[in-house]
Amino acid sequence: MLLKVENLTKRFGGLVAVSDISFGIEKGQIIGIFGPNGSGKTTLLSLLAGLLPPTAGRVLWKGQDIAGAKPNVIASLGVIKTFQNPQLFSELSVFEHVMIASFLAFTRIKDHSRLSSFLAPGKGEAVLRARAEKALTLCRLQGASDKSAAELSYGEEKMLGVAMAMMCEPELLLLDEPASGLGNDEIHNLENVLRDLRAHGTTLCIIDHKVAFLAKFADHAIALQQGCKIAEGRPHDVLADPGVVTAYLGRSHHA
Amino acid sequence: MKTLWLLIPLYLVPLVVKSDMILTVLIFTFLLSMLAVGFNIVFGGAGQLTMFHAAAFGIGSYVTFLSMQHLGISFWLGYLVAVVIIVLVSIVIGWICFKFRLKEFYFAVVTMAFAELCRLVALNWTSVTNGTLGMLVLDKPTLWLPGSGIVKIEQTLPWYFLTLVSLTGVVIFSALLMRSWIGRNFSAIRLNEDLAQTLGIDTFRYKLLAFTISNVIASFAGALYGFYTGYIEPSYLSVTQSLDAIAMVLLGGVSTILGPVVGALVLTSLPHMIELPAELRVGVYGMILILVILVMPLGIVGLVAGFFKRRTHAS
Repeated sequence: MLLKVENLTKRFGGLVAVSDISFGIEKGQIIGIFGPNGSGKTTLLSLLAGLLPPTAGRVLWKGQDIAGAKPNVIASLGVIKTFQNPQLFSELSVFEHVMIASFLAFTRIKDHSRLSSFLAPGKGEAVLRARAEKALTLCRLQGASDKSAAELSYGEEKMLGVAMAMMCEPELLLLDEPASGLGNDEIHNLENVLRDLRAHGTTLCIIDHKVAFLAKFADHAIALQQGCKIAEGRPHDVLADPGVVTAYLGRSHHA
Repeated sequence: MKTLWLLIPLYLVPLVVKSDMILTVLIFTFLLSMLAVGFNIVFGGAGQLTMFHAAAFGIGSYVTFLSMQHLGISFWLGYLVAVVIIVLVSIVIGWICFKFRLKEFYFAVVTMAFAELCRLVALNWTSVTNGTLGMLVLDKPTLWLPGSGIVKIEQTLPWYFLTLVSLTGVVIFSALLMRSWIGRNFSAIRLNEDLAQTLGIDTFRYKLLAFTISNVIASFAGALYGFYTGYIEPSYLSVTQSLDAIAMVLLGGVSTILGPVVGALVLTSLPHMIELPAELRVGVYGMILILVILVMPLGIVGLVAGFFKRRTHAS
């Protein structure tokens, strides 16, 4: 088990945003977490990535408890999260964005002392540049490499977020609503990227409220409502779950 | 790194210029440039608006001189003592500010308060610092030079080269730093700290590093400054001194390697060139600064770099 979540709870004052949630993620799996707006999806992902400290519960990454650890520590262990609203380093070019995200990759370059790279960054830089090109190609941004990030469309901005995350060589990539706000073409593009990520062997945890989109990819689905897990299993089974149907469509009015 | 060649002509200036006054103005420029380059690392690099650099500048001169006097050591060893103290002070203040996630304005205010605290200590600890009267520095730094052995740096020309070489060293160090992974992490923090953290950058550690490096450079400028003027006083640690360095960086170009040097050159030499009563001079100085910031937000270096960029794009 790559990641194991045990009884994770997050309270904001009186509001219980995430309530006693447990689940596990196996290596290579694609997990889809869905639920209506306000069901605690983003909070849950933020807890996993260390952006928020949990009120209670444990998050075990390869057996090690990482609940409450700082985001950069969790990132360096191999768990990277993208943002729902793309977070960028505004004034830089697309390529510079991916390069600035290269710190973790840099720390993992072997036979390469940090001091020597201080005086002559050439060698390590070449390795990182090649890797940046790869991340951009993976995210279909190779053509936009020299563009300023300010010129990108919303969909491209989101893909740039994924490219930066991929630059960190994540073992587990947490995608926060990657499809929200995208047009049909962009969603199609995103689907291709996700297929490539899967082929690449990256374990994915995707949250979205677009159920059909998730169902296409996920090996395993979890449904949330008001911070509680209401169903878990194969995507189609979860979608057919009466509780999930009620959560999404409201109570049925059978006489 | 290529722009660093622009420093070379400064080495040739004494061949042409014999005026002691001009060389003196340039020496002050080099000293204040170092302070500005240091500030640019933490502000232009990591995006943290510190107000502590003047305090570090002052502590550098006080501690270097006092440890020379009381421990009977040379200038360079005395400065080493100052480095140790500055590093400790930076870590304590930085730790407090960054642990409490103070940003922008709040960081500026808290570091300013710490700087004032240091200034008040220098002002009121009369038995050690001689209070408002300041201290006369009769000693001079010594250097070992091939051929002539150990020499005291006393005349204008040796000071000119000592400060210019120091400035060159500081500028090269800052250029190497900014293009290394450290500089890249600083930029990430400046542009989007939350994102930087989710990409695995320990923002706390790198902000602390930027703050400490900047203060060490400022203290070096301060140590030389005190020994050049032969006088150390509490106003070295003043807010005005901090603001002067900020003005130099803004005028010359934030986040550029040579911007602080250009800014220092303009703002240090300008007051000497304009023959105006002191009160008017300050006013004119302020007006120029406001105009420059409004008209060219990227500073002089940013403007020139933009011009060359457009030229190469057009051709």
